[in-house]
Amino acid sequence: MKHILIVDDSITMRRMVKASLRSLENTAFEEAGNGLEALERLALTTVDLMILDLNMPDMHGLEVLKFVRKHQTFHNLPVIVLTTRGDETNRTTTVAAGASYYLTKPFEPKVLAEQVQQLLISSPH
Amino acid sequence: MPTEGTLSEAFLTEFIDDLYAEYAERLEFVQRDLLALETLIGQPLSDKSLLDALLRHLHTLKGLSGTINLKPAEELAHHLESYLRAVRQEQVELSVADLEILITGAKELEQIITAHRTQQALPEINSTLNALTLALSGTTVAVSPKPLGGTVITPPPDLTVSEQERFNTAVQQGFSWWQVDFTPSPNLAERGINVNMVRQRLEQLGRIIQSKPLIPPAGQGFVFEFLVATPPANTDFSEWQLEGMTYTPYSSVLPAPPSQESKPATHTNLTHDPPDEMLLTLNNLALGPAANLVRVDMARLDELMRLIGELVTSRARQENVVKQLKLLLPSAQWRLLQETNLVLERQLRALREGVMRVRMVPMGTAFERMKFVVRDLIRDTQKQVKLELQGQETEIDKLVVDRMMDPLLHLVRNAVSHGIETPVERLAQGKPAEGIIRLQAYTAGEAVIVEVEDDGQGIAIEQVMVQARSQQLLAADATLQTRELLELLCRPGFTTQSCPDLNSGRGVGMDVVKNTVSLLGGFLTLDTKAGQGTKFTIQLPLTLAIVDALIVAAGEQHFAVPQLSIREVIEVETTAVTQLENNEIIAHRSEILMLVHLTQVFGIPVTPSRKKFYVLVVGGDSGVGIVVERLLGKHEIVVQPLNDSLVQVPGIAGATELGNGKIVLILDVAQLGQQPRNFR
Repeated sequence: MKHILIVDDSITMRRMVKASLRSLENTAFEEAGNGLEALERLALTTVDLMILDLNMPDMHGLEVLKFVRKHQTFHNLPVIVLTTRGDETNRTTTVAAGASYYLTKPFEPKVLAEQVQQLLISSPH
Repeated sequence: MPTEGTLSEAFLTEFIDDLYAEYAERLEFVQRDLLALETLIGQPLSDKSLLDALLRHLHTLKGLSGTINLKPAEELAHHLESYLRAVRQEQVELSVADLEILITGAKELEQIITAHRTQQALPEINSTLNALTLALSGTTVAVSPKPLGGTVITPPPDLTVSEQERFNTAVQQGFSWWQVDFTPSPNLAERGINVNMVRQRLEQLGRIIQSKPLIPPAGQGFVFEFLVATPPANTDFSEWQLEGMTYTPYSSVLPAPPSQESKPATHTNLTHDPPDEMLLTLNNLALGPAANLVRVDMARLDELMRLIGELVTSRARQENVVKQLKLLLPSAQWRLLQETNLVLERQLRALREGVMRVRMVPMGTAFERMKFVVRDLIRDTQKQVKLELQGQETEIDKLVVDRMMDPLLHLVRNAVSHGIETPVERLAQGKPAEGIIRLQAYTAGEAVIVEVEDDGQGIAIEQVMVQARSQQLLAADATLQTRELLELLCRPGFTTQSCPDLNSGRGVGMDVVKNTVSLLGGFLTLDTKAGQGTKFTIQLPLTLAIVDALIVAAGEQHFAVPQLSIREVIEVETTAVTQLENNEIIAHRSEILMLVHLTQVFGIPVTPSRKKFYVLVVGGDSGVGIVVERLLGKHEIVVQPLNDSLVQVPGIAGATELGNGKIVLILDVAQLGQQPRNFR
């Protein structure tokens, strides 16, 4: 069973991400509505892949990402960054911070699902 | 490769309702926060939390708009966000005129999403977009914030710009400082103690200046560290110590490691302002941690309510059986059965109340919208109006609130347009130039009372009478009592220049106000004094569907009367009745009650006359009493509305099944209370 953590402060977005991925077999979802909650989920549950929004209330997604990369347990975690079209944070910065993949909202469900699947196959977990 | 695709229709359809709901929720926050910005105009921008919240909501709205490919909304949200960001970065100074544009923008955003939902043509927004672009072009160079003097608290070195600002504000207010560490664990999480909950708690105690994760020395998991400023009062963290948290007073340049520092908190003693309550409320109101909230479709709650309704009926049936068994069973066994039955009743009531609570929402959101309305209405007039809100936390069934929205809007609109006078007129009468409209909600037993009151000119009863006579609604020699005035005002199509039912222009008149209230099983009363103001009082049931009712008999027919709809029940001797023209009246508590016989209204054969009967005094101030012959008891009834238009009878609100399998009709007491009046 693969566990995917979806981090976004919009509940609708989280649901849409989940629905995009329902074709994947053997996956379970965890959700977090802000950065600290996301880290807490990471610490308390097994997570194989994180889908991360950038613009969030407490902690910018980029900070969450940088922090995860610094942590000895999670530094290899595949992270897909989802951002809103037209955000100032661009792809280069995001990838430099360690994003495994970068998608803008609105995203194509199929593309997301394919990426998730690829990353899960190649991940060491 | 990044893809900017559009989502398939089918995929979207599944989420569209969720999306609309979140959209509406965030728009409400945006609108509220924009209004709150007004107080910041011309002030130094010391606290930016409000702007941060606005930016976040607008950003999400932009994202949601993009998701449904609603380009104009996406663009508008983007423009609003850009402008506010410039304000946030102190490149633009917020002006009254610009705030007006922002508010218009937010309203247009709402119109666009409504148009999208109802598949109407989208509104024109170019002028707002242009205005926002123009407002942004006046960008000035950022002014560096004034340095703060006399503080002994040094901020931690890694504060971001906005954290630094929050820090400065709290220092100026003389807050105490704490460093709080929280280590999450599966054990705590199981008990509901998690980072969101900790944060919520801390926000109730004070302000979180900084929150950050740390990697503990062992390198496993996380620790969350919060820098918290609390109002200069005793703050007791002790009950938290056992639950994964440590707290230490914070007073030095470098945050000390937990549990080594034991110096008392240093108070800066600069100022001892009371805690900024508005700020705290805003924090609490901000979209809470998503994990603790569930959005539930109303239809599911309705279904739950229906099932409980069926349970109530079944239990009543069981009670009947228990009664019949009394003579057949040994008394010890029967008592056992009876006790079980009573316990069941209590539990059922608790269950019902539990589900009811789920359906309840605070009146506050409805009230907040009124601020917008008032603001809108007075913009083009000379009037000055202050809206006072009380009892926003009063809870009421969601359905009731939704239905009451338009009537409330109408009453508030009337109060502004026709109640409050211009400042010149007011000053001439010795009133303050600023008029007050007070919206108040409170709970009274099983009912919620909502009052809309203004201190304006009152309703000119003379003028209404003149108008009513000219429309042949009132006999030439008759005069009006307050309650008749209300009834007259609520007649469809009745208008005068000075009465409330004028140019509402949005499809709701006083008649709709009255009908909505009475449909919900409530009452509307009016109190007006020339020169002093007008007060509308609305009494609403907490919830619909299941109510306590009196079962009464008229002739051989039984009726259920919702307990809330009557004020009291009195026993009357036939000799106490006075005949006045075609009406029977009795004196009661220094007022006159006009009697309505159910036997006459519904053409029920009268049983041989008795010496005594009962009068149900109708709630509100209708001055009507309903005559019944017998009182049969009290029942919890499930209201089934009669939907078939063929069986819709004036005076009947619906039907219900009693436990004995009998169907009884439920009286619409408010309707029966609308007695033939002299102006009809």
